[in-house]
Amino acid sequence: MKTRKTLALLLSVVMLVGLLAAIGPAAAAADDLPRDETLYFGGQQWGPVNGTNPLSTNNNNGMAVAANARGSRTIMFETLYMYNSLDGKLYPLLADGDYKWNDDLTEMTVAIKAAAKWNDGTPVTAEDMAATWAACEKVANGTYADYSAYIDAVEAVDGNVVIKAKKTEDGKPVNPLQVLNFLSGVYVQQAKWLDTLFERNGDDTTKILEDPAEDVAFSGPYGPYIYNDQLAAFVRNDDYWGQDASMWGKLPAPKYIAHALYSDNDAALVAFKAGQIDVNQQFIANVQNLWEKEGLPIATYMDEAPYGICATMPTAWYNMEIPALQNVAVRKAIAMAVDYDDIIENAMTNQSPSFADVPRSVMNPTDGEQAMYDHEAVKDLQWVGKDIEGAKKLLDEAGIVDTDGDGYRELDGKKIELNACCPNGWTDWMAAMEDVAKAGQAIGIDITTNYPTWDIYQTVYTKASQTEYAIFMQSPAGANPASPWARVRALMSSEFLGKDNNWSGNFGHYQNDRIDEILAAIPLTTDEAELKALYTEATEIYLTEVPSFSLMYRPEVFHAVNESVWTGYPEAGDGNNIPPMDCTDGYGIAALYNLELVG
Amino acid sequence: MKSTLRNVFHSPRFLVGFIIFSIILLTVLIYPYFIPRDPLQSLGKGFLSPGTYVSVYDANNTDPYRVELPEADAKRLEASLPASDRVTMIEFLTAKNEAKGDVDLTGIDVSDENLDALIELWRSNYDEQDVRKSKYPGFSTMAQRNGLKRLDRKINGSSAGLVMTVTRGEGEDAVTTTVNGSDYVKVSEVSNAITLPLGTDNFGRDTLTELVKATGVSLIIGLIAGTVATLLGLTVGLLAGYVGGWLDDTLMFIANLFTVIPGFVLLILIYFSIGQAARGITTCALVIGCTSWVWTARSVRSQVISLRNRDHVNLSKLSGHSLFRIITTDILPYIASYVVMAFILQVSSGILAEAQLSLLGLGPRTTELPTLGLMMNWAKLFGAYTSSNAWWAYFPVILVIALISFSLNLMNTGLDQVFNPTLRD
Repeated sequence: MKTRKTLALLLSVVMLVGLLAAIGPAAAAADDLPRDETLYFGGQQWGPVNGTNPLSTNNNNGMAVAANARGSRTIMFETLYMYNSLDGKLYPLLADGDYKWNDDLTEMTVAIKAAAKWNDGTPVTAEDMAATWAACEKVANGTYADYSAYIDAVEAVDGNVVIKAKKTEDGKPVNPLQVLNFLSGVYVQQAKWLDTLFERNGDDTTKILEDPAEDVAFSGPYGPYIYNDQLAAFVRNDDYWGQDASMWGKLPAPKYIAHALYSDNDAALVAFKAGQIDVNQQFIANVQNLWEKEGLPIATYMDEAPYGICATMPTAWYNMEIPALQNVAVRKAIAMAVDYDDIIENAMTNQSPSFADVPRSVMNPTDGEQAMYDHEAVKDLQWVGKDIEGAKKLLDEAGIVDTDGDGYRELDGKKIELNACCPNGWTDWMAAMEDVAKAGQAIGIDITTNYPTWDIYQTVYTKASQTEYAIFMQSPAGANPASPWARVRALMSSEFLGKDNNWSGNFGHYQNDRIDEILAAIPLTTDEAELKALYTEATEIYLTEVPSFSLMYRPEVFHAVNESVWTGYPEAGDGNNIPPMDCTDGYGIAALYNLELVG
Repeated sequence: MKSTLRNVFHSPRFLVGFIIFSIILLTVLIYPYFIPRDPLQSLGKGFLSPGTYVSVYDANNTDPYRVELPEADAKRLEASLPASDRVTMIEFLTAKNEAKGDVDLTGIDVSDENLDALIELWRSNYDEQDVRKSKYPGFSTMAQRNGLKRLDRKINGSSAGLVMTVTRGEGEDAVTTTVNGSDYVKVSEVSNAITLPLGTDNFGRDTLTELVKATGVSLIIGLIAGTVATLLGLTVGLLAGYVGGWLDDTLMFIANLFTVIPGFVLLILIYFSIGQAARGITTCALVIGCTSWVWTARSVRSQVISLRNRDHVNLSKLSGHSLFRIITTDILPYIASYVVMAFILQVSSGILAEAQLSLLGLGPRTTELPTLGLMMNWAKLFGAYTSSNAWWAYFPVILVIALISFSLNLMNTGLDQVFNPTLRD
């Protein structure tokens, strides 16, 4: 009896200790992160951080390491320039002033700001940029794969960075536009630290890429603070070089940046509504309900639909390996029959302009891109959707009719059966695919939906060849310094044909020689009228051939803020020209310097 | 037979369960004759809350009647500018007065009599750009300023007087009529009005119509799954129990395998591997049925074992009756009541299994028919209970699932009371 009592006591002590241990880190984190000094993010980080290695793509550290030409996240590592999706311009960060091309666009010179320093106090130099490129080449990481076709060498000459473009046989640069992407899409890393990294891993590429890089040198305003299974937090470097008058002239307002780890979108949304998240990168259906119906202190960049800046176009791709889809009438008919207004209202809850407002082309809805093609010339080709009769007529004229009376049309004697696929749980895309299937049923083409999990989906649609998915969704390049060229390439370039692990574009494997010629010509064309003619022709081909069709316009990142603690976020018409990029991406980081506490 | 049925219907539990189930079944059968609407057709856009929707256009084109309701004016003002909005207006004016001292707040309150004065004062003091620049306390954040902007739009949108004019047509054909506060239209005379008792779901589909159809489909799934499971279980149980020997060993070996692997996990794996495109309603039901026959088989077997050495069975054997005949005439009738009860439970668990799987995103194809589980899945995906607060999109579905399984279980316990000697009153 006595032993039993002792055992019970022992057990309860163990349980108590266990409980305390379990709540320990959370309590500690709350003490270490005073609410009025911390800016909480949501929707950027979904699991514990593995590392902070800017060479690797395997850190699972969304807040710190996210390099992308459309707007790299520069809270910790910095790029030469910041891309501003509002005006499509590059703003210098580590670079000093504008970049300079030589006359034949083969060599670019970028000066480095004198004030720029690493967190150890040593200056950021052109040698660091050269060493970064050399390191990328050595480990052959994603950065190298992305840019090695366009960049021959990155060198340090007289304290300046000199980027030598790769040349074709006739001495012309392969693609100067992609070099611009390099400026805003690649982090500069410290040469000294890279040496240490290579040394301690014995030049073993795999080990280098797996190195968690706890000692990494960084030039940005924030450094790692807490990484655990509940949050990732960063603390401001109060000696940050950017407080120099040549850059921001002050420190960013929040002392800490934190991202709690939520189990799913719903949990994050509940936290956002409760004010535990300040800046949220998450699609929220009917976001206006949060303030109109629930009266929460939540706002978006614009207070009316579409609430944000739409820069990308989620697109339904036709798989050209499916025989029925090799027929252009089938492709165009389905695209004409889809009810896009329904998609925009139901899937995007109106967070997108309609195709009546912004007619379809290869351009995103920003004013800059819309001005780059001749609207009149392609007017007759642009369809607004829900044209069931027109689609039926098109199919009838093409001889694709229902011959056996089962309600579905046959092509070459075979019933047209297609599936429409997107990853499960991606609600706006799923709702769009429902509409595509409905359009198919309405015009006598049997389309059914299929929602595999993302893990499976991504392995299938990126294959060099697949016949599993007939119509499937993915977004082409959004806005970056190389757009809209980059989008035309992503939509139709044949350079992606036959490539496995193709994450870049032309997922439906469409081929058109004229498009390839246009794609080669645009980067070397400087005459505006000529450029416009080329883009107009590309749009014409896209709308005639219909290798894919956009379903909606969508913001590059979602940006909603809860103003319970912080205010001063970017707002349409505030004259600051700061894009709503979650206060972290590209020129959007400028927002961090304008924040202030409420009340 | 007659007396058995009478006994069954004298059991209050069975009766209640039977009535609930019959009501659900009747609704499913009759509803489409009254409202022959395609359950998957989207009528509205997104979640519309339950209520009657009357076309504004048609209401304006309908001849009005004169109705004088007391307090109509007060209600109208309250609807266009509720007291809470007036409080916000006064708060803003006070904040501006404290910051700049240029607002005369005398005689301003939330009452209807002073509303015109309040609106007048608002119009002369509210300026969007000024609010953005001046950052008045309480109205400094974007969300707060946006609130004022919306309020301003509302104030400017509402007609100050209670007379409204409507212009129809364009150019020379335009006709302008005056709408008085006492003009009423009869809802049944408006050419386009729709009552949505349960609102619409995220696709703008009429939830009630969809729910009725989904209930029907889910019942079919339950029936197919239940029939398959019961038939399989019964066959295996009868053979194993009556024949015995190596056949018993083999069948029970298979049954044990199925017992060890949790049925639901097995279901998830099978559903996942056949892929969504192949998951029609029937396939889904068959898979559920094929994975849930085990416990029926085991209990039927144990009952058969206790029956097989009864005198009348031995007599049949001595008379040289065939195996099939012995099983169907000498054994089956004794366990029939048990089989019926097992079947009812199988139907119920089949419906639940479909709902669970659909909620995980593993449900049937979405383009053809709604099911209860699919409705729940869409409601979950579109944040019906997080961002959209659309209770009507999921609560009625939960209720129907609960009622179906409640009524079936009630019927089962009712039958148990009648047939189980140890429970008999």
